[in-house]
Formats: sequence, C-alpha cells, structure tokens
Amino acid sequence: MRIEVDRDLCASTGGCEAFAPDVFEIADDGELVVLRSEPGEADLPDVRNAVQACPTRALRLVG
Amino acid sequence: MTLDATDAVDLDAVDLSDRDFWGRPPAERHAVFDALRRERPFAFFAEPEVPYIPAGPGYYAVTRHADVEAISSQPALFCSGQGAVSIPDMPPELNEFYGSMISMDDPRHAKIRRIVAKTFTPRMLERLVDSVQRIAQEVAAGARRKAEAGDGTIDVVADFAAPVPLWVICDMMGIPAEDRQMVLEKSSIILSGGDPDLIADENEILTQFLEAGGMLSDLMNRLAAERVENPRDDLTTALVNSEVDGEKLTHQEIASFFILLCVAGNETTRTAISQGVLALHEHPDQRARWAADPSFTPTAVEEIVRWVSPVTWMRRTATQDTEVNGRPVQAGDKFLLFYGAANRDPEVFADPHVFDLGRTPNPHVGFGAHGPHFCLGAHLARREIGVAFRTLFDELPDLEVCGEPERLRNSFVNGLKRLPARLTGVR
Repeated sequence: MRIEVDRDLCASTGGCEAFAPDVFEIADDGELVVLRSEPGEADLPDVRNAVQACPTRALRLVG
Repeated sequence: MTLDATDAVDLDAVDLSDRDFWGRPPAERHAVFDALRRERPFAFFAEPEVPYIPAGPGYYAVTRHADVEAISSQPALFCSGQGAVSIPDMPPELNEFYGSMISMDDPRHAKIRRIVAKTFTPRMLERLVDSVQRIAQEVAAGARRKAEAGDGTIDVVADFAAPVPLWVICDMMGIPAEDRQMVLEKSSIILSGGDPDLIADENEILTQFLEAGGMLSDLMNRLAAERVENPRDDLTTALVNSEVDGEKLTHQEIASFFILLCVAGNETTRTAISQGVLALHEHPDQRARWAADPSFTPTAVEEIVRWVSPVTWMRRTATQDTEVNGRPVQAGDKFLLFYGAANRDPEVFADPHVFDLGRTPNPHVGFGAHGPHFCLGAHLARREIGVAFRTLFDELPDLEVCGEPERLRNSFVNGLKRLPARLTGVR
C-alpha cells in the first residue's frame, strides 16, 4: 500500500498528522512530508483514519 | 421540551435574517432548522440590514449535511473571496482586513495558510499542552478566589470560558498580559454582530467595528516591529520571519491574520466551553460519565463541538452556473452553510438531538466541512476544550449552574454572554 498526496488539494491542515504522526509531518515550510510513503501493516489503521479525516481529501491509499 | 415540533413550525413566518430569531430558545431554533432541512433545504431569505452597507440579493440557507459538504468541498465553484463571514458583500478592503484568509481563495489563501500551518499542527501543539493545563488551572483558581471573596457565585463565561482561550492565544502570539483585556474586548466587538449589549447604538456598529480592528492592528504592528528586532519563540516571530516562495507576509497580511486569530481563537473556544458547561448541566448523566472516566475526552470533545456548533455559518458564493446535489445554482448565488443544522441531520447522525459524549462515528462539521478552509485551530481547540473540562472536573468539581444563560443575539456565533454558577463548596 502506498500513500499518494494531491499537492493541489493539500492545504497543510495537519489532520493527517493528528492521526498518524509517525507517517505524516507538516514541515517548517508548511509543506506536508510523508515520512513513510509505504506504511507498514501496523501503521495502516492510523493511515486509513488520516486519509479519511483529511479535510481537503488530498490523500489516497493505493495498491 | 419537544424537539419534534413539526406542526408548530410555520416556515413562512421564519426569517433567519431577523436578529430576534437568534435570541429564541435553542429548542425552538432547532425545530425550525429541522423543518427547513426536511422541507426547504435551500430556503431563500432577504439579507439583513446593515447600516451604510448596501443589501445584496439575498441568500440560500443550506441545512443538509450533504449539501454543506458538497459546497464546502468545491472551492473553485463556491468561493470565499466575496465574503465568508458577512452576508452582504463588504468593500473588498474590509473583507480581507477582517476576514484574512477566511475570506480569500487560493492561491493567496494557500500561501498564508502554509505559513501558519506548522504552528498549528498536532506536533507543535504537544509542546503547548503543559501551558494550556497551567493556564486552565490558574484561571480555575482565580474563579474559586472570586467565589470565596463574594457570594459563592461566578460567571462561567467571564471567569472561566473566556480567559482560558484568551490567555492561550495571547501566550502563543507573545502578547503582553496588560494587553489581554483589550484583545478580549475588541475581538468581542468584531464578532458581536451588533448585539445591542456590546454595541448600544446600531449606527455605531461600523465605527466601533473599525475602531476595534484598528486597535488590534496597532498592537500587532507594535509587536511585529519588536520581534524583527528581538526574535522570540512565539507565533508573531514566526509570522514576521516566514517566507513562502521567497515572499514574506506584508504588514497588512500579518495584522489581518492576527485579527483572525484573536477573533477566531477566542470566541469560538469560549463558546464551546461555556455552552459545553451548560450542556453538561442539562445532562448530568453525561457529566458524571466524563468526570469519572477521562478516556471519554476525545469523543466528548467532538460531541461538544457538534452539539454547540460555535460558528453558526460560513458563506460561500457560486462562481458560475452549476449544481449542488442535483439542484441548479446560478453564478452569484450566496449560500450560508448552517453548521449547527447539518450537525443535527438525521441522515448522518443517529438520534441527532441526543447529547452523547461517547458518540462515534461523529462526522460533524463544527470545524467546517471538507475543504481548504477547514478550521486551522481545530487541533488547538480540541486540546483546549479537553483540558478545560478535565480541569473543571478536578479543580471546580462543585460548580453548579444556578441561573439562566444569557445568549448572544447573533446569528454568526452561538455564544453565551453570561452563565451564572455557584461553587457549592464555598461557604
């Protein structure tokens, strides 16, 4: 499973970081950084919540 | 108190632009919104009169969760730049000055949002937890001292719900303690919606509003100049130094953002806390459940935000002829997204009129629906609300609401002006 970010939609709300801080981080310049673009099994529930919670629907979990 | 008052609601007599409607008891207003959602999900209303501002063509009141979501999540079709926080179109300068990025569209909105995004992420806020806790404890101790020095009563709004978020936002910005009261008063005027209690003369609304903005702006300019000389570890320093694509924020952008923070960071959280205290008073079983078990905090906070819906609406304007869930829309049509109504939509929430601190899932739109304008301070607000209530349970467990709340007569914020309470342990 791989995380895709639509940079046109992402508004750096940090919603994903709230759910999966080990996977997502808003960097100092305000851009979203995906720390693990292919998250492990253990991260998947949090990542799914993060994808669902994204206010701008900028995240997708594919594969 | 019956909420299913379909027969009692005469929708032809309802006018959401009438200030008096917003002073009606909540049960009555919810019954009206239930009826609107069910029978007239895009009810049309003439615009309220604002002295010196020409009235526009009117607006549609959006009350279904699905329609609020559809409009909010398509910012290219439904813009904020013509005004998100006022019903009439304001002069563009005023609009941006008071609304900051709330009343902007991308790409400018995105530019400013990215600059401040980092400061409001959950990770950054972790560092704030201790200070929020300390502030809440200090404020609670002050409330107890006041009750002890007086007749054992306090005002939940002035003595607890207002100071907590005010101190937090002032700390984050690095605003000196002596300026806090001014920030509180001026932000209240900006969000008063002309409530006669805050602005006595209706003809003074605009001048008082401008004066309030001017004073907050002066404070920010003073602080910004200081931080350029002497940087500190605060949000103001981050704002004056931050660059996006090699561009710094202009003085006006900084001042506008500051006004937005003062207003949005104070009134909304204050409302969630004060109305939350009232809701717990009205639902003692829920209060007991949460007080006994801190693990309820995450769902409890979400339910308070759903239940209270501190911001009643935001506006969007159609940029072209289009449709919303099959309903045709014309370019220029204005829509008010009524979050409180969407948050009680039975299509989405089981038993929407039941206050359930364990509610899950809870896809409320109390912080806004999907879209780029989703509340920047949502993480901060959640933290503040959670800490505020745990502190109340720990430090003021004897607090009992002892009188009727006084409600703000304002369509934009679901606020309380006063909520009398007694500390029963004080004798």
